[in-house]
Amino acid sequence: MGPTSWGRWIRSPRVHELLTCRPVTVSERVMEYQESVDLVRLKVHGVLPDPNTETQIVILRDEQNADILPIWVGTAEGNAIRLALEGHVTPRPMSHDLIRSFADHLNIKVSRVVVTDVKNNTYYASIHFVSQGSERIVDSRPSDAIALALRTNSPIYVTQDVLKRRGGGNLDAWLGKLGAKNPDKYQA
Amino acid sequence: MLQMKVRGLMFDPYNNAYIVILRDEDTADMLPIWVGKSEASAISFALEGVAAPRPMTHDLMKSVLDTVDAKVISVVVTDLKDNTYYAKIHLQHEDSEFTVDSRPSDAIALALRTSTPIFADDEVIRKQASDELDQWLENLKPEDFGKYET
Repeated sequence: MGPTSWGRWIRSPRVHELLTCRPVTVSERVMEYQESVDLVRLKVHGVLPDPNTETQIVILRDEQNADILPIWVGTAEGNAIRLALEGHVTPRPMSHDLIRSFADHLNIKVSRVVVTDVKNNTYYASIHFVSQGSERIVDSRPSDAIALALRTNSPIYVTQDVLKRRGGGNLDAWLGKLGAKNPDKYQA
Repeated sequence: MLQMKVRGLMFDPYNNAYIVILRDEDTADMLPIWVGKSEASAISFALEGVAAPRPMTHDLMKSVLDTVDAKVISVVVTDLKDNTYYAKIHLQHEDSEFTVDSRPSDAIALALRTSTPIFADDEVIRKQASDELDQWLENLKPEDFGKYET
């Protein structure tokens, strides 16, 4: 563990929280370290309609705004994410509100969601939650994972590997063209 | 309360929406519920027993419930106000039961995936003007049926 990564690890909010709230076990320290090395935390920057298709693009960015991960989703999925970003409360619960109320009743806490893989331009994700002290993981589409994370204030991560393998070529130029729609409006 | 079966799903060309038809097998009472495209597709996947390559939203819902051994006992369409239907999902977890508010489309999509009975309150059936429905159904052409996309 080099001085730089150690410094980053010790300053990460999650570690800080663990250090200040309760004793930390060795395995937790190892897990946290592993996490800070393998996973990159992302925030939802915005949801844009893709003018070329009937889909929407969820723009995820890392905390330094250095990396960007666009994920194409369907209209309904995009709307589910946009509603949560804008803090919009609908008269009747939407599907992800329903999942959150299940979680509330069942004493399940969503601890994080992770974009785990990309194959043929399709992204895969998992949702980690804690129930009665033990961690469970379920597979999910990234759109569901993100829609749920925003409703449960859970962190969103992507593996370094996926971030490296994301296609896109000249992404910034491409996003610049889309930028007319002003993604900052939805900045999380 | 009447136990309802999902009788079918059709496209409503006039409203550009989809209609889930619930029907009581004994009384032949029908309850049409208008839903959006993605809600209709969530229901049609379950009706046709098609497994999507990746878990859809209601598959995720089911797997969250499964991991903690929570069971869906029943779903009930409980109210109709200003042409909007309301539903409740009844669940059991360990020794306790609880009820969660839901849109009927979510309740039905989840019920079909968990083989859970679907009910409707008598009041809802009464409120829903069935004469109007019959008339409306008569005006539909055969080709309007089964026009939903998956």
